[in-house]
Amino acid sequence: MASETILRVNAVEKAFGGIQAVDRCSLAVLPRSITGLIGPNGAGKSTLFNIIAGLYRPDGGEIWFDGTRIDGLPPYEIVHLGLTKTWQIPHELRNLTVLENLVLAAKNNSGERLINLFLRPGQVKRDEKQWRARAREVLKLTQLDGLANEHARTLSGGQKKLLELSRALMSDPTLVLLDEPVAGVNPALAGSLMDLIEKLRQNGRTFFLIEHDMNVVMNRCDWVIVMHQGRRIAEGRPEMVKADPAVIDSYLGG
Amino acid sequence: MASTGSAGVAEQMAGRKLPWSEIIAFVAIAGIVLAGVIAGVLAGASPQGILTNVGFYASIAVIFAVLALGFNLQWGYTGLFNAGIAGFYLIGAYTMAIAITAPAPPIVIGGIPVYPGHLGGYSLPLAVGAVLAMFASGAAAAIIALPALRLRADYLAIATLAFASILQIFANNLQSVTGGAIGITGIPKPIEFVSAEAPFLNAITIVGIGSAILLLLILLLQFMAESPWGRVLRAVREDEEATMALGKNTFNYKLQAFAMGGALMGLAGALFAVTLGYVSPSSSFAPAVTFSVWVMVIVGGSGNNRGAIVGAFLIYGLEWLSVQLKDYVPIALATGLPTLRSSLIVGGVAIVVAAVLLIVFGRYQPTSIWPRVLRKIRERGWVRNGVIGALALYALGWVFVLLEQFAPGAIGATIFYIRLMFIGVLLILLIIYRPEGILREHKRVLR
Repeated sequence: MASETILRVNAVEKAFGGIQAVDRCSLAVLPRSITGLIGPNGAGKSTLFNIIAGLYRPDGGEIWFDGTRIDGLPPYEIVHLGLTKTWQIPHELRNLTVLENLVLAAKNNSGERLINLFLRPGQVKRDEKQWRARAREVLKLTQLDGLANEHARTLSGGQKKLLELSRALMSDPTLVLLDEPVAGVNPALAGSLMDLIEKLRQNGRTFFLIEHDMNVVMNRCDWVIVMHQGRRIAEGRPEMVKADPAVIDSYLGG
Repeated sequence: MASTGSAGVAEQMAGRKLPWSEIIAFVAIAGIVLAGVIAGVLAGASPQGILTNVGFYASIAVIFAVLALGFNLQWGYTGLFNAGIAGFYLIGAYTMAIAITAPAPPIVIGGIPVYPGHLGGYSLPLAVGAVLAMFASGAAAAIIALPALRLRADYLAIATLAFASILQIFANNLQSVTGGAIGITGIPKPIEFVSAEAPFLNAITIVGIGSAILLLLILLLQFMAESPWGRVLRAVREDEEATMALGKNTFNYKLQAFAMGGALMGLAGALFAVTLGYVSPSSSFAPAVTFSVWVMVIVGGSGNNRGAIVGAFLIYGLEWLSVQLKDYVPIALATGLPTLRSSLIVGGVAIVVAAVLLIVFGRYQPTSIWPRVLRKIRERGWVRNGVIGALALYALGWVFVLLEQFAPGAIGATIFYIRLMFIGVLLILLIIYRPEGILREHKRVLR
């Protein structure tokens, strides 16, 4: 069972003050899938993503990623296991350039350890060169290559979303949590972005994404999970979920 | 091949703008030194005395530059606000003093304790003392940071502020270690000169050693801060949560930057102990030192190592210059008062006449001048600020004249404090026109 799912969330709970944001929520994500997470505002979707990525500590429950229990681990260790997330509100590093933002997201860049700067300068130079080349490749994929040496703060809202995705790809993750990846991105680019995600999935990556754009969810996801008031209320193939009365009632509307 | 190469270089040279910020900073610092020299000449000091004095400026400015570099690593790069710079500085100075002085037993004369003695008197070499000072301050910074860095940013400021205050009280009262209020004297110089020119030669040696250390430091810091490691520090400053989500153990980076900044402050303390030849829990380690270093880094440009150094030379320069002018200003004021008064009167009359003319002609001309002038003043920010500044200077001139008239000597007696007002005005102007500092943080264009 554990080998069939890449991510398993078991009865996870999280309360902020008196508000139960995530209420004994359980769900599973299959490897090499594009799984959608939908639900009304305040359903606890982003909170759940933050818990999975290690940014919030859950009050209870278990999270398993690829055979490892990850709840309680710090975010940077979870990234090293191969799980990366993007932010709903872009967290670009404002006064770093786009290229710097990407190179920073690389794992195991030897120059980031102070001692290596002095003891292994050759290795540091090679790593840095390799990661810069990789970053430029990723920027070409996300069509940000023209802005490589601009400060991240000068990007538009949509471009910042692309930067989020580009950074996530830099760490070579097996599972990517995307928090509204195409919100604010123009339709043409959103389409090619989702094509890119589809291509990456065929290369063996898994995507778990929150999205309000029903076109994206219905056409691109192969499994959809619906959250409401901190719980999973439905899941299934997109067309099944679309027809579920509980989902129509709480989210899609009549 | 070669010809195209040189053409490319020429093109680059033509395309490159002059580094105006650097030029302005350099001219300002040179101007301060020159003003200090002129004040010395006018006061009738000997050439050697003037040089010794300039050497003193340079050596203290170097010490502040090292402090500013330390704070820049912590705050400019990593975004960690240290409100206890004076405390780390103090640890460095006392560690150095204890390590390198000769033994100093308590002195009791006629049953009355005159000097309580102090810890150590190990007579270690200066370099060893400096390394110990860096180690002690760095370790202190790490120990404070361990709990405080896990909390919200404000707590680090509170913890360091309290730490610095406690240390100053310790230095005053922990007599058996620090020598109490008297402190530790007889700190050896790098080279002991035995001639009449000893003060001059000492100043020159200290400046030489200080400059060498500063040069080495800036090379090292530039190498470290502009490396992938430094990039993570800047990322932590921008957004710690996002940096963590990108796979960096941000706590480790914060700890490293804070401890290293503390070690630099310790080195500054060690330099200070050698420069002055004694340490005491005096104003040298007061909170004002911390504030000065903040100002230096903010004015110079946080996140830019050269900016931190420029800020230190500039702000300490103003302080030094005000001391140089302290004796000269009262004389200049007394003799120049009639000239100042008459020029103020002439200037005032000219302003009034100009205003009246504008109003009068404005009434009789179809296209009124006066509203246009007013509009221009309103619309153009710098014109308005210029007018306000000119009026403020004019009013200040009258304040000086009237004060000198009715309370002779008052300005001369308080010039030492009035300088703070000028530094404050300079700061406000800088914050308005150059919020990133004189040398702003540059964009890192990666190839």
